[in-house]
Amino acid sequence: MTIDIFWRIPTHGEPSSHRSRTPHRGDWFPGDDSRRKNGLAGSGEDGFNYIDYLAEIAHAAEISGFQGGLIPSFPMTDEPWVISSVLARETETFRFMIPFQPGFLNPVVAARMTASLQRATGGRALYNIITGGGGPAQLWWGDSAGHDDRYGRTTEFLDILQGVWKGGPFSYQGKFYQVEDGGLAHPLSQEDYPEIYFSGSSDAALASASKHANYYLSWLEPFDQLREKFDRVKERTHLLGRKIKCAVRVDIIARPTEEEAWEEVRRGFDALPKETIEQYLRSDGGDSVGAARQRSGKPTTLNSYKDLIIEPNVWSGFSLLRGGQTNGIVGSYAQVAERLDQLVQLGADAFILASTPHLEEAYRVGEEVLPLVRGSTSSPALRAVG
Amino acid sequence: MSIEFIWQLPTSGDGRYGNATKQRRGERSSAEHPYSPGVTDPRGQSFNYFDYLHQVARAADLAGFDGLRIPENPEGDDPWIVTGYVARGTRHLKLITEFEAAWGSSVYAAKNAVSLQRYTGSRVAWQISLGGDAKQRRALADFAAEGDLYPRVDEFLTVARGVTTQSPFTFKGRFFEVLNGGFQGALGQQKFPTVYLSGKGTEGHQLSAKHADVHVFDAASVADVAEQVKQLKALAKDAGRTLAFGLRIDVVARETEKEAIFDARRYWEQSGAKRGGGDPLISQHLWAGLSTDSTGATGTLVGSYEQVSQLLIDYANAGITSFLLSAVPHFEEAYRLGERVLPVVRSHISPDHRRAA
Repeated sequence: MTIDIFWRIPTHGEPSSHRSRTPHRGDWFPGDDSRRKNGLAGSGEDGFNYIDYLAEIAHAAEISGFQGGLIPSFPMTDEPWVISSVLARETETFRFMIPFQPGFLNPVVAARMTASLQRATGGRALYNIITGGGGPAQLWWGDSAGHDDRYGRTTEFLDILQGVWKGGPFSYQGKFYQVEDGGLAHPLSQEDYPEIYFSGSSDAALASASKHANYYLSWLEPFDQLREKFDRVKERTHLLGRKIKCAVRVDIIARPTEEEAWEEVRRGFDALPKETIEQYLRSDGGDSVGAARQRSGKPTTLNSYKDLIIEPNVWSGFSLLRGGQTNGIVGSYAQVAERLDQLVQLGADAFILASTPHLEEAYRVGEEVLPLVRGSTSSPALRAVG
Repeated sequence: MSIEFIWQLPTSGDGRYGNATKQRRGERSSAEHPYSPGVTDPRGQSFNYFDYLHQVARAADLAGFDGLRIPENPEGDDPWIVTGYVARGTRHLKLITEFEAAWGSSVYAAKNAVSLQRYTGSRVAWQISLGGDAKQRRALADFAAEGDLYPRVDEFLTVARGVTTQSPFTFKGRFFEVLNGGFQGALGQQKFPTVYLSGKGTEGHQLSAKHADVHVFDAASVADVAEQVKQLKALAKDAGRTLAFGLRIDVVARETEKEAIFDARRYWEQSGAKRGGGDPLISQHLWAGLSTDSTGATGTLVGSYEQVSQLLIDYANAGITSFLLSAVPHFEEAYRLGERVLPVVRSHISPDHRRAA
């Protein structure tokens, strides 16, 4: 089996480099003149808006050889269902990875939306099922279910999605959902079931993932910790008589030399406002176990970007440069490729990569890093033979 | 007075015939092979019904319609996905997505709508309907009690509008709950979708008086419509609001009345209606149930271009400002109406009509 490599669509808005946090590109924030300064495409009167920029990135990712991209959903971002359907017609191979929280959609509605999206894209839709960080953030979304309840609900949701997919009639009596004689109508019922990437690090999450996921998706963690986590997921899934693959979501900064890559990090770090660093040192992420695992190695003081190097080529300050995940890979093209291959050896079967700005970096990573990744041929067994 | 013409996108199939056998033009996944084996069919699997939907949407835009209703049908493609799919290919059309309050979280719906507004220059509108009967609703994982249907739409719209227009917004109801919600930053300040509602009876009308921008009536005679408009206007006034009125009606318009009646009869027969099984005429030129099974409209105007145009003018004089029209097949008929009927009505209602950009 070969390794699938995805890119990411910057739904947070896009600055022109890691050294800027002002997401001015493509009218992401059309109402705010200060953000528009030095931006691309004017005020919206020209008919352009942020989706035009996202379309550019999707095309760049297609041309550069990525499978498609993750389209993150957060309170401040645009929504992946919309982005996927709007870009369906003008992309050819780009696979739309839609993260969503099952509690937000009626499962039968979700099945029909997905089948229609498969029809609209020629089967290019897939899921990243997330179950929510909890706390007040979850009530912002209008969701009051507790942490473990949410995973129970996710399991029921996926039970129903699968049940109605091929046409039914399907009935279900769950704690959160009931269905009576439901099922997709022809020809929607002919579509391929979407691949499921599943996120979540708690026991409740692993239980749900092992039942329904094709891929268990993790942020980058220290390599040994990640190996242990992947082993645990695979073991649990195996007990259910299923197989699961693993995927890693990781930001990267790749340059011709390692020196240049760290210099990019240093300049980004040195440009940070003081408040950002103070806020980072204080931060807490609701009841998410994954977020806690990423925070576990966090230093108590921060004077240099070097305080955040947690192992060779791994820097844990990415969330400072750009909202989102903490750990990422920094190095020369060859080093980044090598680290990715090490992740393959410890169990990764797929990657979601990203780097700012996503447009130019899609080409850079596609041209310079991906050709150096050996992927499944990098497994120790195969190497011994070769 | 300004009026709008809304065309319908046939999300669950389209066809040339009135027998409600849904064709999906462009759909190549079925086993049926329309050509004989002796003829090359170059189409392969490379396109499907979505390509046809795209073409109907473009036709409506080119033919001068103001909007597109994208109806909910459990047998059809999903209206939200279809809305996004036709968003980039259309320039002017208002896109009315129909769905039900059982769709899911109202915050999530509102947030998806904000993205669509951002990407379409605020062309998005909603029609929230009650859905089918109890059995159909249960098949859609919706076990709400009959008496909860209108109250749920009420809460759904309250929350969706709240998080779109206020921040922070907090609400705790029987069906929906949100704490310190509301869209900010790049997602703030978006226009809430125009709301079309078509509830019936006292409860349905009260819901419209409270939440709708446009209340949509099923097809009825001009006199009936005038009477209902009067009642609803009074209800809206009591609620301190003004309301616009829409009419969901199909059209069989031809060069001559004779041709129109001939075609309407053929549809009538194709639709399986028994001859002599009840008079399809509601009033002059208004037929009941002619294409209900395939388009959802309860009535159809049948007549020459002049007659149909005049009837639409009569409805406009009775207070209708949104015409939600359809006719099969939707592609060809969009051009026919755009060329032969819309200009006549427009020049009569507002001689200086220019379509808003």
